[in-house]
Amino acid sequence: MATVSLRSVRKSYDAQEVVHGVDLEVADQEFVVLVGPSGCGKSTLLRMIAGLEDISGGEIAIGDRVVNEIDPKDRDVAMVFQDYALYPHLTVFQNIAFSLQYRGVGKADIARRVAQAAAILDIESLLDRKPRQLSGGQRQRVAMGRAIVREPKVFLFDEPLSNLDAKLRVQMRTEIKKLRERVRTTAIYVTHDQVEAMTLADRIVLMHNGRVEQIGTPEDVYDEPATLFVAGFVGASAMNLVAGRVENGAQGCAVILGNGARLALPASRFEAHADMPVTVGLRPEHLHWSHYGTPSLQGTARVVEPLGSDTLVVFDLAGCELQARLPPRLVRRAGDPVSVAIAPEAIHLFDPATGHRL
Amino acid sequence: MTRPSGGWWATRRNRQFALIVCFLLPSLVVFFLYRLLPLGWNVILSFQAWSPLKPAQWIGLENYAEMWAYDDVFWVALKNTLIFIAASPLAIAAALGIALLVNSDLKGAAVYRTIVFLSYPLMAVAVGIIWRWMYDERGGIINYALRASGLTTRPIGFLQDFDWALPSVIFAEVWQVIGFYMIILLTGLQSIPPNLYEAAHIDGAPARARFFRITVPMLRPSLFLCAVVGILNSFGSFDLVYIMTNGGPGHATELLITHIYKSAFVQSKFDYAAALTVVQFGLLVILTVAANRAAGGNVGAVERD
Repeated sequence: MATVSLRSVRKSYDAQEVVHGVDLEVADQEFVVLVGPSGCGKSTLLRMIAGLEDISGGEIAIGDRVVNEIDPKDRDVAMVFQDYALYPHLTVFQNIAFSLQYRGVGKADIARRVAQAAAILDIESLLDRKPRQLSGGQRQRVAMGRAIVREPKVFLFDEPLSNLDAKLRVQMRTEIKKLRERVRTTAIYVTHDQVEAMTLADRIVLMHNGRVEQIGTPEDVYDEPATLFVAGFVGASAMNLVAGRVENGAQGCAVILGNGARLALPASRFEAHADMPVTVGLRPEHLHWSHYGTPSLQGTARVVEPLGSDTLVVFDLAGCELQARLPPRLVRRAGDPVSVAIAPEAIHLFDPATGHRL
Repeated sequence: MTRPSGGWWATRRNRQFALIVCFLLPSLVVFFLYRLLPLGWNVILSFQAWSPLKPAQWIGLENYAEMWAYDDVFWVALKNTLIFIAASPLAIAAALGIALLVNSDLKGAAVYRTIVFLSYPLMAVAVGIIWRWMYDERGGIINYALRASGLTTRPIGFLQDFDWALPSVIFAEVWQVIGFYMIILLTGLQSIPPNLYEAAHIDGAPARARFFRITVPMLRPSLFLCAVVGILNSFGSFDLVYIMTNGGPGHATELLITHIYKSAFVQSKFDYAAALTVVQFGLLVILTVAANRAAGGNVGAVERD
């Protein structure tokens, strides 16, 4: 039970700064996911919280206690590593019990707590085995067991699912979510996979080049990406980002794409940006097949990728290439006409100079 | 079902077998001629009375009885050989210490690593001569340093003194082989994933526990590899002893191997030397197998999860 506070936390190696002042407040029992491409500083930040990396500037507090100078073992955090970091020469039981032995827990108590953790993770039958006799998913569970048996204040997860194959990863993701319902401990989870971030997080911290781009619930970052980077990163299929220009004319406020395609914007919101060049963000799933009567955008299909449940269509619209996720069988092959529309509220506009949302 | 015609040569499996044999044959011939054959002949010889000008005569265990009952030098040599072996754990421990230092963030670690290893490729004869000079009673640098620092007033005859001779030779031997141990252990250390230490650190294991519960068990195969090499070295350090003391003073640094040499080539007792060799070989096999057993049968392996 603890909050975690990061106050303008910095990290530099020699002269090179890799984390540039991160502020973050993690509430008690909250599950926060740090997500971003590799090299964005998310793992470094997690390791600083764990105490495995020195803090070059700023302050990290767990609960009310500033931990900058406190040894990792005294921070009362447990960490799950990407490659599990199980002790290969110890059995599963010994692996899980390892930390308790150094925390003055009695033998009987250790046995009870290990059994309890094993029951939660469904690995009771594996306790006598060595890590090399386990599958990837089982090792992952043992690594989790090692963390939860401690009953720490904070769980730290460093890309725990990255070494698993795609199917197992989805399965373990669900397991973590279930586990979360049983063990409500503050958790900070690092991943480069935006799906993992969206599905697991109470709140997502999007990082890029050592800076926080946006902090918010999965819905927040999906509905209102704060920057171009977030817009491009979040979402199952990447958002279309094309150049456009805001126009405030007799027909109301609109954005003009390429050589003339006109998308109506919500009234009043963008009036101040009239005649400004912008980057327009359109999610493929928000471009819907236009029915009779609705004003539509006409284009020509370039690539058609049927997925079964729906079809990804790359099409040409007034000189811009866009992707749309459309119902199946409406567009069959390249060259077919595409007719789509988008709700004005689903259009995102960004300042191309700063990358910020307008 | 029709079998391919053309007999034995026609099946792919047999052709491959023939090829494998062709590749193996040169090594096997050398192995047989220079290893198995002499060893076998040596065993036979050990049950015979034979000298170059006399016909061999079967005498059963007489050579062994002589060794057991009458040859005091054999027992001294055996004791010295075992002391030599017993010194290798100390050498391995020292090498582990150096390997840990060199593996740390120490500035110039690569330079130290090279310096420590440099002694190993030296010829044992050269090492023997170097150390003989250094141990020298009058002009040796060790005596000079001891006297200059006031630790002793009279020079110590390291290689002439009955008490000092064996430790001095062992020290030179350790000095030479320690670089090899260090490289083996360093490789072992570097194959331990660093996140095990991080995990243990977060788990709250103090430095001592991290060493004994992670480093040592993870290094076990490397440690035992060093132990086996140490045993082999102890049995084989003929050249070093031959150059430094030739087994003396008296028999204070006599090893089985020097005793064998002297029996055979100084006293021309080839039959008796053969029996000594059989004993040494047996001892070697027993110790090596025991070491490998103790290592869980995976000497030199790198244990991973």
